[in-house]
Amino acid sequence: MTRIRRVAAIAAAGALIAGASACSTGGGAESGVTLQYWMWDDTQVPAYQQCADQFHEENPEITIEISQAAWSQYWTNLTTQIAAGSAPDVWVDQASYYPQFVENNQIVDIQPFVEEDDIDLDQYVEGMADLWKVDDARYGLPKDWDTMGLVYNKAALQAAGVDEASLSELTWNPQDGGTFGELIAKLTVDTQGRNGLDPAFDKNNVAVYGFLPEWADGSQGQNGWGNLAHSNGWTYADKNPFPTEFNYDDPKLVETIDWLAGLSGQGYAPPLDAQSTLARSEVLTSGGGALTTLGSFNLAVYKDMTDEYGFAPLPIGPEGRKSAINGLSDAIYAGTKHKEEAWEWVKYLASADCQNIVAESGVVFPAIKEASEKAAQVREEQGLNTQPFLEQQKAEDGTFIIPISQNGTEINQIVQDAIQSVALGTQDAESALSAANEQVNALLE
Amino acid sequence: MSAPSVSAGRRRLAPSAPRRRRDDRRVALLFIAPVLIGFAVFYLYPTIRGLWWSFTDYSLLGEPEFIGLQNYAEVVQDGEFWNSMGVTLYYVVFNVVSQTALALLLAALMHRLTRSVVLRTTLLIPWLVPNVTVGLIWLWLLDTNLGFVNHLITGMGFDAVGFFTNPALGIPTISLVNTWAFTGYTALLFYAGMLQIPNDIYESASLDGANEWRLFTRITLPLLRPIMALVLVVSLIGSFQIFDTVAVTTRGGPVNATRVIYYFIYQHAFNYFNMGYAAAMAIVLVVILGALTAIQLRLLRASESQLA
Amino acid sequence: MSLTTQVSPAPVAVGEERPAPPRRRERRPFSIGRVLGWVVLIVSLVLTLFPFYWMLKTALTPAADVIRNSSAFFPDNPTIINFARVLGFLSPDEDRAAGGSGASINFLLYLWNSVVYCGLIGFFQTLFCAMGGYAFARLKFPARNALFSVLIAALMVPGIFTLLPNFVLVRDLGLLDNLLGMVAPSLLMTPFAIFFMRQFFLNIPVDVEEAALLDGAGKARVFWRIALPMSKGPLITIGLITVVWAWKDFLWPLLIGRDESVRTVTVGLGVYLQQSPNTQPDWTGLMAGSTLSVIPVLILLVFLGRRIVESLNFTGIK
Repeated sequence: MTRIRRVAAIAAAGALIAGASACSTGGGAESGVTLQYWMWDDTQVPAYQQCADQFHEENPEITIEISQAAWSQYWTNLTTQIAAGSAPDVWVDQASYYPQFVENNQIVDIQPFVEEDDIDLDQYVEGMADLWKVDDARYGLPKDWDTMGLVYNKAALQAAGVDEASLSELTWNPQDGGTFGELIAKLTVDTQGRNGLDPAFDKNNVAVYGFLPEWADGSQGQNGWGNLAHSNGWTYADKNPFPTEFNYDDPKLVETIDWLAGLSGQGYAPPLDAQSTLARSEVLTSGGGALTTLGSFNLAVYKDMTDEYGFAPLPIGPEGRKSAINGLSDAIYAGTKHKEEAWEWVKYLASADCQNIVAESGVVFPAIKEASEKAAQVREEQGLNTQPFLEQQKAEDGTFIIPISQNGTEINQIVQDAIQSVALGTQDAESALSAANEQVNALLE
Repeated sequence: MSAPSVSAGRRRLAPSAPRRRRDDRRVALLFIAPVLIGFAVFYLYPTIRGLWWSFTDYSLLGEPEFIGLQNYAEVVQDGEFWNSMGVTLYYVVFNVVSQTALALLLAALMHRLTRSVVLRTTLLIPWLVPNVTVGLIWLWLLDTNLGFVNHLITGMGFDAVGFFTNPALGIPTISLVNTWAFTGYTALLFYAGMLQIPNDIYESASLDGANEWRLFTRITLPLLRPIMALVLVVSLIGSFQIFDTVAVTTRGGPVNATRVIYYFIYQHAFNYFNMGYAAAMAIVLVVILGALTAIQLRLLRASESQLA
Repeated sequence: MSLTTQVSPAPVAVGEERPAPPRRRERRPFSIGRVLGWVVLIVSLVLTLFPFYWMLKTALTPAADVIRNSSAFFPDNPTIINFARVLGFLSPDEDRAAGGSGASINFLLYLWNSVVYCGLIGFFQTLFCAMGGYAFARLKFPARNALFSVLIAALMVPGIFTLLPNFVLVRDLGLLDNLLGMVAPSLLMTPFAIFFMRQFFLNIPVDVEEAALLDGAGKARVFWRIALPMSKGPLITIGLITVVWAWKDFLWPLLIGRDESVRTVTVGLGVYLQQSPNTQPDWTGLMAGSTLSVIPVLILLVFLGRRIVESLNFTGIK
């Protein structure tokens, strides 16, 4: 009957979701204030640790303690701690998550601080500062930005006789897939070595898939369908941020999803039900695929593999080339005992001092324009071609922001379920998406 | 302390019971005080608090706001809730059957073939391993591209199997992973029960020419019924609370194929900020579990009378 | 049903040492059925152990090889670097170079915390539940059965339901990051342990205790001097089961014991898992960590295997 005691172990595996993360107690707390700072990206920890050290040097009375937990646990950890009234003083915030903190008065409106300290909001990459503005209040200063592109296996391209340079001119439409669709077919190779355009191509025995779609992509499709649908003329909602009505039932999205799901049916993409539990980058680097989408935040994965993998911009759709742009900020916990100190830290994080350090690490693009250029340089020196991502950010009408809405997490699940059920073939895109849209809009009422 | 025992000694002679009982009461209070405190503080109080939450709109971050029965009304109409109940039931049946059958087989084999402690200790190892570790090991073994099992399958010329990504396979896979983790333990319980069966019964039956199968069906199974009933009750209630393996491996997907009820409640409480709604679902679950237990206790009693 | 058959006060005598008729089966030297039976047992053993082998093999494989050559039966270039980095012997940068996130585990400290955590819960819960169980079985007091039913009903309350209120409660008591806060909810009781002990006491003969009472001993004295010593077997059983579950506990100690100084082994691993790189799972590091979490179990089995197995032999209850 001890099995019942699993009660205690319940979310044991909450191991992976719930639960709090480490608050490493470094050396003894000196006199003064210690701020807890949470982030999820392990690759950025070293850079921010440098920032923290630098900050401590300049403000000896404030010590920063960084804790990191992977994305999939991060938000649950955070909300549990908030619920218990013991959240970190400052945490890295994301656009689709912050509305619920705002709604529950859990993060500090920093507009008064921003005005008092006269922070120059124009130093940031365009649009990034406004992500955090709700009416007259402001809930964060931008720390970085990211756009999307493609990553491909150079050898696969060569084997298919495709010139790498031609990838920047790819076109796409939901009817026949354009040259993008053609490329995907060409890159797909069955176990007999025939590619996807070969009439004898055996779609049931594929050795290398031409494209690796991301199906676990919430309500945003940041890593795939969202970009294509936008290039097809779709938008998430009537307005963004804080929509009153979503457009998930729009035919432009429906046909995009249909096209993507069709790739699996043709054998050009791994069927969702046989997809690896691993990340797409892992499948790509293990040779299971030739091409997939890539966020600039994950460029560093390919740092030591630049001879084997290259980057290209997204394909051009009927309405042009569109990429999601997203940025992060730092939120101050409303329950913090050290609001002033927390602001000092947040201000420092959003300053050129820290963002230049982050730029040096070459992991992300900092939000400050100059720092952003610097990061690009660092990456070029590492052999990473950042141009597709930079150009996309600068392109006129080239980007869109992901939806910022109340009930964001629940909407994520609903839309993702609908799209996955299309990918699995259990529902058609039209009925799945219109049902999901109804549910989602009901949540906004 | 002699007074109570004197009265106890006189019990049959004089009706001095009231005094004795009062003394018992004092000792009893001492004896159950720790247990009662633990129960009141860490079971009763949170349960009442959770019950209150189920009548509120409570986001976990804000303050609970009373909304009457609205949560319950929504639970009843929530297709996802009933889907989760269905998925859970599927898991419970699959897991309990596979685990019990396999454990019974192993126990019977051990009983008739060997008394090796090493064997039994080895079978117990998976039970002692933290659930997180169990989930991780199998996630790795069964991965579509890199997992050992799929290397075997593709090596034999078949297509790789998406154990965790194919909606039809998710629940069976998770059931089997937990069967792996718990069968050794269950088998030992059965084995222990079998040891209680006097050897002479087998001896004489063998002399009468009964084969092993007959021995198993005619002797082992019937005499094992009480233990079996207990094991079933326990694994049933335990299986209903499946969470950890799902959380490590499929996270409820693909779509909602493995979204068991615990996971669904958990999502609402901690991811969607619907603590009030989650609490209402938990209450409904308690009611269902209560009904199941009542039925099972009756079964238990039935088997008891059989033994007697 | 009666538990007397399973709950015997002399556990050791029940299990292994029951004198089986010697060499009984030698009389039937060979049969297909017996061979098949052995085959099934051996296959089960292999299935039980193989995942652990694969875990170990992966832990000994360099991160780079794991993707390129994941089907190799033996690690081509065996390395202990994964253990080294999980245990924090490498600098964060070296760790990242080897495929990790820069996190590490202070394993010895966590092990000590786990021992204290499991020890406290195992000892006190067993003691208090034995007292409670005895009271519910033997002592007479008003509303006894009603009270017992209420306690047992707590078995059905899903843990997820009490988790958050309890968390908030422990926080309000100021016991976050405190060993007392971590053990508090299971230190005093679990419904199961009470149920178990009560069942046991109900089924041992009353005679001895009655005799002691007649000799003038008080009820409390009877419990300490007679009932408790008689229950060594069940006490060890429930104690062991409690310890095993405490060892496997994850979420609660994770929520309460976030601080390094009180972190248990499973929490340490869990936190390590959480810090897994976002881009791709750190399989070699995870498997090294998993291996570490299994080692204490194996040690426990080597020293206490017989005891555990035999104590299960007479519980007949989970």
